[in-house]
Amino acid sequence: MEKRLIKKDALAGIARKMAGDMPVWAPVKKEDNVLFAPLGSGNEPFFAFLNSKNAPKNVFFPHTETLMKFTRTPKGMVFSAEVNKTDASVLFGVRPCDAHSFVLLDKLFDQEKYKDGYYIEKRKNTTVISLACVKPPYATCFCTSVDGEPVSADGADILLTDIGGDYLVEFITEKGEKLAKYFGETKADAAADTKKSEIATKAKESIASKIPAHEIKPILDVNFDNPFWNTIHGKCLACGTCTYMCPTCHCFDISDEVKGSDGVRIRSWDSCMFPLFTKETSGHNPRSSQKERWRQRAMHKFKYYVDMFNAIACVGCGRCVMSCPVNIDIRKVVEDISKL
Amino acid sequence: MQNPYIPYPVIVDKIITEVDTKDIKTFRFKFVNPEDEQKYAYIPGQFGELSIYGKGESPIGIASSPTQKGYVEFTVQKAGVVTSALHEMEEGMMMGIRGPLGNSWPLEFLEGKNIVIVGGGFAFTTLRSLINYMIYGDNRKRFGNITVIYGARNPGLLLYKDELIEWQKRDDLNINVTVDKGDATWKGREGFVPAVCKEVAPSKENAVAVICGPPVMIRFTLPVFFELGFSKENIITSLEMRMKCGIGKCGRCNVGSKYVCKDGPVFTLAELDKLTPEY
Repeated sequence: MEKRLIKKDALAGIARKMAGDMPVWAPVKKEDNVLFAPLGSGNEPFFAFLNSKNAPKNVFFPHTETLMKFTRTPKGMVFSAEVNKTDASVLFGVRPCDAHSFVLLDKLFDQEKYKDGYYIEKRKNTTVISLACVKPPYATCFCTSVDGEPVSADGADILLTDIGGDYLVEFITEKGEKLAKYFGETKADAAADTKKSEIATKAKESIASKIPAHEIKPILDVNFDNPFWNTIHGKCLACGTCTYMCPTCHCFDISDEVKGSDGVRIRSWDSCMFPLFTKETSGHNPRSSQKERWRQRAMHKFKYYVDMFNAIACVGCGRCVMSCPVNIDIRKVVEDISKL
Repeated sequence: MQNPYIPYPVIVDKIITEVDTKDIKTFRFKFVNPEDEQKYAYIPGQFGELSIYGKGESPIGIASSPTQKGYVEFTVQKAGVVTSALHEMEEGMMMGIRGPLGNSWPLEFLEGKNIVIVGGGFAFTTLRSLINYMIYGDNRKRFGNITVIYGARNPGLLLYKDELIEWQKRDDLNINVTVDKGDATWKGREGFVPAVCKEVAPSKENAVAVICGPPVMIRFTLPVFFELGFSKENIITSLEMRMKCGIGKCGRCNVGSKYVCKDGPVFTLAELDKLTPEY
């Protein structure tokens, strides 16, 4: 597909122009953090960022989302409306690791049987524009160990790569091509391609943190009862920050809220780190301590997801490593498992 | 395509209090939109999410058999928020049901075989569905001998008392009802389920055992069946876990790589052996 060049300083203008025509989610500076937020009403695009504090999974899978509405009648509360409508929108400036997470989430929410219409609707109507990492943003990045690359079009409809003075604009999908009019007229030449390959190779080599993520699957297959699992959770506070920050964590709760005669059924992010997550009415809890919960998290990412979808449910963004209040490092966990 | 999160609207058509303690009731639902009954075509062993708007949802095994037309039944113990609200429901009220969810009793596998059904206490509901399915009209010919061993703590806690009496009248069913301890009026068998299984000693020849009950009953019943020579491939049970979505997404009912809601709830013992012991 077609490739173009845009001037480096034109990026924010393009995002703003798009935002005049449709909802655009882009990195926005909020106090000390960069977060993805809809542009407009004071939200200005901010591209001088390494990666956003939170993963942008909430664009497709909001923290809290209304599934349906209901209303009181003399015969009880009855269903009144399904809530699921998304306008065409753009997710602008996603880092390749986070774009990779969308491909992983698709496997779960868009299965052959039981399609999750709420996720799929947003995904279908959103164009993902990835912004390649030409320098590794953090020492905690390890995308290359989990099937990712700092310059990658995986999960993107358009890929932007900083090749010096210009961004190389690659339209990856037809959905991406439909936004071509926003990216000027300058066609990219072969030299731009060469430059991009050089930059991509260099960026890949500069990811210093490596973990044996693929090697541990057969070890996890046979080590469910290994005493090793007693060694991780001791300092875990069960705060759930790791699952909150994680681009691929997708567990949710469903609950009802009533106000007066009307109510909504909502789903909200939940976490396998919380004791209540699996606690049954009887009091029985199949994952009774933080040990079982930590094992679940590690197993789900590096074994169960591989069993189910042939993919590791980790993109190497390093957010859980940076945000854990007690410095539990998933890279060390994986490393330790590889030595079992 | 049907949104799997949206319940079918139903009317509470009939409520039957099953036990003396009044905390287990059978709820018969009729679909508000008659065409939904077809969409809710189910197989014994599947479950549904009972949905009370404003309270939430609860996953419950389907207690009626698909051969019973015009309604669907669930037998529910009052326990948490949703089931307590359900027990407050009156006939004529409206609510929702989702599903049918999960796999089912493996009917094709059971066909042509001798079936031994072992149930304990309140876990008899989807077994009742299976029994009513197997004995319905011509269905009966598709199965060999049917032996049922069903126990409760006392006579007042037996479910489906009228049906038990009807079943005992049939000569193509071997029904063994037992209670841990009888009362003044109880003329039936006394004894724990595992002991009765030992006494009845169903043959392993061309036979499959379908066992549901509280963990303590299962623990003592399985050795009896192993001793009788039943293989793990021919012992089937059904699991329960905390659930929300019921369609393998929300992430809380997985046992290893399997979701109880979607890949279960029915597993053979051989399959359970391959799962992690986290249920």
